[in-house]
Amino acid sequence: MTRGDGTRRNWVRLDNASNIFLAARSDSDPKVFRISAEMDHDVDPVLLQQALDATYDRYPLYHAVLRRGVFWYYLQDSDLRPRVTGDRQHTCAPIYQADRRNLLFRVMHHRQRIILEIFHALSDGTGALWFLTDLVTAYVSLRHPEQPSTQGESGAGSDAHADRGQLDARTPAGEGAEPTHGLVADSFAHYFRRRRRHEAPASEPDFSTGPGPAAPGSGVVGGRARFARGIPRRIGRFFHLPERKVYRVRGTRTPDNRTRAVELTMPAHDVLNLARAAEVPLTMFLTALFFESIRASAGDLGKARTLSASAPVNLRQFFPSTSPRNFFATVRVDHTYGEGADDVGSIGRQLDAQFSPKVSPEALEKTLRQFIRLEGLFVLRVIPRPLKDVILRLVNWGNNRGLSIAVSNLGRVSLPDSVDEHVGRMSFHVSAARPQICVMSHAGVLTISFTSPCVETDHIKEFARLLTDRGVAVTVAAARVTEEELAEAAL
Amino acid sequence: MRRCDACAVDIEGAWVRCPLCGTAVAGEATPSPLPSIPLTFSRRRVVRVLFFTSLAVILASFAAQLLFSHELTGLGMIRSVWLGLSAMWLVVLMAVRKRRNLAKSTVYLVVIVGLICVYWDYLSGWPGWSVTYAIPILCASSIVALLITVRLMRIETSEHVVYSVLTVLLGLAPIGFLAFGWVTNALPSIICGGLSLIVLALLQLVGGRTVRHELGKRLHV
Repeated sequence: MTRGDGTRRNWVRLDNASNIFLAARSDSDPKVFRISAEMDHDVDPVLLQQALDATYDRYPLYHAVLRRGVFWYYLQDSDLRPRVTGDRQHTCAPIYQADRRNLLFRVMHHRQRIILEIFHALSDGTGALWFLTDLVTAYVSLRHPEQPSTQGESGAGSDAHADRGQLDARTPAGEGAEPTHGLVADSFAHYFRRRRRHEAPASEPDFSTGPGPAAPGSGVVGGRARFARGIPRRIGRFFHLPERKVYRVRGTRTPDNRTRAVELTMPAHDVLNLARAAEVPLTMFLTALFFESIRASAGDLGKARTLSASAPVNLRQFFPSTSPRNFFATVRVDHTYGEGADDVGSIGRQLDAQFSPKVSPEALEKTLRQFIRLEGLFVLRVIPRPLKDVILRLVNWGNNRGLSIAVSNLGRVSLPDSVDEHVGRMSFHVSAARPQICVMSHAGVLTISFTSPCVETDHIKEFARLLTDRGVAVTVAAARVTEEELAEAAL
Repeated sequence: MRRCDACAVDIEGAWVRCPLCGTAVAGEATPSPLPSIPLTFSRRRVVRVLFFTSLAVILASFAAQLLFSHELTGLGMIRSVWLGLSAMWLVVLMAVRKRRNLAKSTVYLVVIVGLICVYWDYLSGWPGWSVTYAIPILCASSIVALLITVRLMRIETSEHVVYSVLTVLLGLAPIGFLAFGWVTNALPSIICGGLSLIVLALLQLVGGRTVRHELGKRLHV
């Protein structure tokens, strides 16, 4: 099917994961995330533009603009070309605005950093990391033409290959043919819709919807599992107060709705050693530290002694996919203070005991299949889009009430060998509706970025001190947010 | 690289105070990897400007009413609508400003709405509806509302007591209206005055000492 506005443009329906981002957007949380890579020199904008042009041509998905249909949003091909700019807006500034047909991503540079910002409906962290990896690879090969070319070498992740971003996941790895003019299939539909996951992929790109797990930082997380158990339960939650009151962080909104971003940089192995000593995987160890810092900065939790976190899980590690579109689920974990051991190690182990069973392929598949079934209901599909948005916003609001923080870990990034030596630390920010950490490590450096819609930094202070007390060397970089901070910078 | 000794962290950028804890930092400034982006707008300033412009417009429009005589035909309806809208906006502004202290905002509400009613009454040739009905009913209902709110929200006595007393004292005003013979119907004023006296007696019994303590605290010279 094509749409005509003079030309026949390819289009693809947006999966529900992405629909939720559209419904849950707000002034302070435009559902944008940023990944940046720090080079060993000041970035050359001319070369970066050339690298961007080359990379852009290999990712048809990134050509897309977002349009609004009667029942669903959809992505449509465009002839726009991206331009590299300086980092002139605050981090995670809004990208998608209704009825503006602009690209859903931007590439910027600031001093030594190459920065990619993406509207979350287009792609998730892993997909964006592929694009950035290819972009940095192209840039390095232009800057160091004497080195063997690394174009097409795979970067992040073991399951990636050179032609991800193609029409769909059917192109066998290594062929690297010219991209067809199409958009990428939705992996949710591919894996969880009727077909068993061990069967061969479909021979047609599947344009149906996928489930909507929330994003790092999106509010729709709450509990995918709870959501999947059906709507009645969800409605019930509006009328029954949860047995345990979840603590929610309050604060002063930033003056112009920008995201408060603070990056903590530290040696990765020091933190890993701490996590190992506590016998907790890194993500849950950091979540436990975050809980502890929220508790310490709150002073008194009052009646709300439960802290909960949502963590996105990349589904590609269980269900191989080369689609750069959203493909992740979120898992919710919580801890109630005053019901046993409350030291960081114990909290971490308790969180991991909740987390591990939820992220087995079987558990994820069961949940997502149920969810897809719910979405497939004709009744739900024929609700007009504006009304769907309202419903999704309500669901999102309901979920937000049960969340204190979010933790998103992209893990250790490995770049192609020839590129690796030129790239230092890499970092990752997500626009946030609540305090959030985004974790990423490269070149032995772990970067933990705190984002929040409020100006307060007490919880970050506590977090940093928890680490420095344990002997980790922490470096802080913060973006100026308040009038006072900016006035200080102007001196 | 600058360093904050309190947090034991190094700080990138030219921060004078630690961005985490606010203590003064020492050391050489290094360039920050995150640029300083000027504010696109400032929520606080926007709110402040809106507040003062609204206030100016409302007061100007109230004053402008004096220029029109109340006999002007065809003006009555428009004027009533305009006054109603302005009054509502003024009440909203006050409610937003005083939202942290319920008893305080009640006092403001009673005073503002009462004054608007009297002015409106005056503009339309003084039939006397404001002092006969509007003010007594307003005072009585706000006293009842305060009693309920204070109970339900478990507001500390010291927090609200001064303003509660003020509200009750305002409720005694209709007794004065009765004495001066400004009213066309005595019942609302009698009810309001009676209620105020009862509540005042209750406050004396329950929180007399607290009231004196609070007044002593606030009025010390």
